[in-house]
Amino acid sequence: MLIGKGAEAYIYLEEMFGRKLIIKERKKKEYRVEPLDSILRAQRTKREAKVLYLINKNNIPAPRLIAVSRFSIYMEYIDGNILRDIEITNELIGYAGSYLDKLHEINIAHGDYTPANLIYSKGKLFIIDFGLSQITNNIEEKAYDLLLMKRSISKELFSIFLEYYDKNKNRDIIERMQEIEKRGRYMIRTLA
Amino acid sequence: MLVIGIESSAHTFGVGIVSDSKILANEKEMYPIKDKGMIPSKVAMFHIKNFSKVIKRALEKANIKIRDIDGISYTMGPGMGPSLQVGELVAKTLAKELKVPIVPVNHAMGHIEIAKHFGNLNDPIALYVSGGNSQIIKKFENRYRVIGETLDIGIGNLFDNFAREAKLVPAWGSTVAKLAEKGKFIEMPYTVKGMDFAFTGLLTYSKKLIGKVPLEDICFSLQETAFSMVCEATERALLLTNTKELCVCGGVAQSKRLKEMLSKIAKENNIKFGYAPDEYNADNGAMIAYVGEKLLKCGISKNVEECSIKQRYRIEDAIIC
Repeated sequence: MLIGKGAEAYIYLEEMFGRKLIIKERKKKEYRVEPLDSILRAQRTKREAKVLYLINKNNIPAPRLIAVSRFSIYMEYIDGNILRDIEITNELIGYAGSYLDKLHEINIAHGDYTPANLIYSKGKLFIIDFGLSQITNNIEEKAYDLLLMKRSISKELFSIFLEYYDKNKNRDIIERMQEIEKRGRYMIRTLA
Repeated sequence: MLVIGIESSAHTFGVGIVSDSKILANEKEMYPIKDKGMIPSKVAMFHIKNFSKVIKRALEKANIKIRDIDGISYTMGPGMGPSLQVGELVAKTLAKELKVPIVPVNHAMGHIEIAKHFGNLNDPIALYVSGGNSQIIKKFENRYRVIGETLDIGIGNLFDNFAREAKLVPAWGSTVAKLAEKGKFIEMPYTVKGMDFAFTGLLTYSKKLIGKVPLEDICFSLQETAFSMVCEATERALLLTNTKELCVCGGVAQSKRLKEMLSKIAKENNIKFGYAPDEYNADNGAMIAYVGEKLLKCGISKNVEECSIKQRYRIEDAIIC
């Protein structure tokens, strides 16, 4: 059953062996020539699966990776509410901050770290959608994660978020975020 | 209202005449580029030699006299300083002599507004692709805002620069496009970051291939890769902002292939897609006159003494009504 349609992929919810799972399939883009289309879809599927594998391995709450094919990722279904759609408490945003700290510690930049990509399920918070994630130690990419979150929540919540993100350890990343903000054109990225 | 618009941001000296959003004339002279790029001082010299000829031709075409003009607009920027100065000076002189209001216009806004006009669109995402610029733009209230753009060079510069390196004549992106028709695909660096993209990696890579693989293949792959990048970013912008209209504008919008790719995206997402005829995608005076009239009708104008140019005039800094 198709449950979501993004710019890149279709999300299906299916049942296999009595368990619910999510299939994320990168669809063919008619505007792109072959083999460019297949190359991009395969590369990105592989990259996302690798990120998910690393996250699972480091016990950061996210869907469990089940299987990968050339253009599809099969993963655990997490039944809950998207953080964007519920009241964000101080406790929840604190978890979001500490999770991002863990991600950055293992050199993963999420790429789209907003309340739309966090799910609250059975008393626990999970990160989803690693479609734009990168394995990198680049400060700029990590700072971009902070900036996106800052744009998506209130000032008060963001200061709690930073508290749990570990302000002291990640000082250089926070400073870079402020620097990017000053570059002006990022002032407008408040669309989501 | 009869408005004359003067465009001189780069190699084109263009004069357009507009009356109540109807284009009466669109005349231009283009600095000839053979194998080298543009030398700013030489381009400015070319404009100085040609401006009166182009103005005369536009007046004849519109079948009006210079005294009939009710307002003047000119390109304030972005563009090359020496070129912009010629247009500014011509516009200011005319405004003083004719005693009519004058208004500076942002070049990118000219491209977008004229594409909206011809495409019959109200509130589109605009993909603005030219030599020096590659941006994804959307209007919020009375300002256009850049929501995605190149992190290094413009897409037109990518093609022109490669054409020069490969010794293609004329050294233009259109020559690359022609050769691309017979090429096969080679994998090249592909850089998209959300709604932003970058071209220098692609340029360096294609330059290194010159002489090693058929030129047609490089041209084809270079063009396909670069266009796919801007298309991906554009599609993401459309979905993120939930916009149901799309236009493409700027010099590179003359590419048939790019328009074909964008129309596929539009069809798949049920989006209305439009653009201006080629004559108005290349730099032209009509678009400057068109925006000029719009602004003047809203009561936006400047004293001649206040008029200036701005080489790095970003569209966010310009007001539209």
